[in-house]
Amino acid sequence: MSALLEVRGLAKRFASRAGREPSPWIIQNLSFSVNEGEFLTIIGPSGGGKTTLLNMIAQIDCASDGEIRFQSQIAPVNDLKALKPGLDCKIGYVTQEDNLLPWRTCIDNVLFPLQVQGKLNDETKARAQNLIRAVGLAGWENHYPHELSGGMRKRTSLIRTLVYDPPVILMDEPFGALDAQTRLQLQDDLLRLWNLGRKTIVFVTHDIAEAIALGDRAIVLTRQPSQVAGEHRITIPRPRDIRGIMTHPEFVDLYQRIRAQVQ
Amino acid sequence: MATLNSTGGPGVGVLEGNALLGWLYSRRDQILVLLILIAGWHGLSLLLGTYWIGTPWGVAVRLYNGLLNGEIIRHSSYTLAEALAGFAIGGIPAAVLPFLLRRLPIVTAILDPFMVGGYGSPKLALAPLFILWFGIGLESKIALVAFTVFFIVYFSTLSGIRALDTKLVQMAQVMGASEAKVARYIIFPGAVPHIFTGFRIAMPYSIGGAVVAEIISANRGLGYLIQLRSMNFDTTGVFVALVAVCVVVFLSNLVVNVVERRLLRWRPPSDVTAQKE
Repeated sequence: MSALLEVRGLAKRFASRAGREPSPWIIQNLSFSVNEGEFLTIIGPSGGGKTTLLNMIAQIDCASDGEIRFQSQIAPVNDLKALKPGLDCKIGYVTQEDNLLPWRTCIDNVLFPLQVQGKLNDETKARAQNLIRAVGLAGWENHYPHELSGGMRKRTSLIRTLVYDPPVILMDEPFGALDAQTRLQLQDDLLRLWNLGRKTIVFVTHDIAEAIALGDRAIVLTRQPSQVAGEHRITIPRPRDIRGIMTHPEFVDLYQRIRAQVQ
Repeated sequence: MATLNSTGGPGVGVLEGNALLGWLYSRRDQILVLLILIAGWHGLSLLLGTYWIGTPWGVAVRLYNGLLNGEIIRHSSYTLAEALAGFAIGGIPAAVLPFLLRRLPIVTAILDPFMVGGYGSPKLALAPLFILWFGIGLESKIALVAFTVFFIVYFSTLSGIRALDTKLVQMAQVMGASEAKVARYIIFPGAVPHIFTGFRIAMPYSIGGAVVAEIISANRGLGYLIQLRSMNFDTTGVFVALVAVCVVVFLSNLVVNVVERRLLRWRPPSDVTAQKE
């Protein structure tokens, strides 16, 4: 397997304002890579620069040092003006907040990326309908975001990225704000959808259990400045049963090892 | 068919009667306030005499006659035409300009003090100038209304563009939206509620502006009517014209609200009146 996405020596500190101490490093000397078709989970403490890392990979924020290679090409990550958000629609990004457009209905939000990419046709529309059915949103297509529950909004936000099929999808604690039951359901939905397509996913979370249950490999980040504290291959066979996985012997073992690394 | 109609007819009539009663019932608070205002008005006219304040009944009779002989409608339509023309001439560029200036923050900053000055300048003091420049016809009234409306809508639209969540813009860019598509699909729809707030605030000002300009110098319109009748010490007549101004403002506000509700269906009901409905 070849590395689809490679992060080398990445560092980030926010620009200091005149007359103030330079702001501390948020990320320093961070390196890892993601293989084609791999589900990578990244565990880090809250406020550990996880969102900043994904913002840099998604090309909506620039790095202070280091490089990011995507499909062996160096991404223009060091210059704010040269950034190419989403790098030509190849990097999808499911953000922490759902960021749905409040003036568009559920289905119109899902169709939004296809519309701006000029790929709106019968085939892609059918694909959107299939995704809506697959995550149990049938019957809610014509509702506005404020009329949907938190879980439904999250599902809409998730399939809005899946619908245009980017080779890599970044996910920033997408299920963080949900209740435990909805969270399990959505994790289950995500695994089911992933099993159909086996896309490359970089999934960031502060929840160790979530990271083990979903991923092929988990990377543990240190406190600020973030660096890789440890790396764990997860060989629990798929398809996984998200509700019963807590009792799997490998899960228990991994959980303890990862918890020792998370400070 | 005939039997169906004859049985259906009265039933429909009863339903319509109920609908009217229901509407009146739902508006009972407003009707109560209206009755109290009219009662207070009547009390004052009894107390001070009809020379100072015309009675509500006298005003109603004059209004009815004015409507019958077309006088009120004619003058109202002049005023309304001036207000609408000024509203369009001032409001549309004001809603477009902030979008053009969006990528030019320096130009926006240079223009800002002038915009604030225009926004804050007393329009009543400007009316004589506009009449001097544009004559006593429709043009000077339209110019004053346009000048008034422009700044209100400009600042509303500007605040709408500034209030937009940058995360929505980033989301669209990640999905491959070009600059033009971000403007069309994110920034414009996001600013529409603010543009409408501007329109809603500017609408009564546009009619008020037209009336004020007419009072200063005109030979037609509701403002002219007010001016003419007060010169003749016709208090009741002034009240008739004032009621007509109120009705015109009320109806135009109704139109703005209907259009706004149609365009902004996506918004969650946030104010108390919306929840009551």
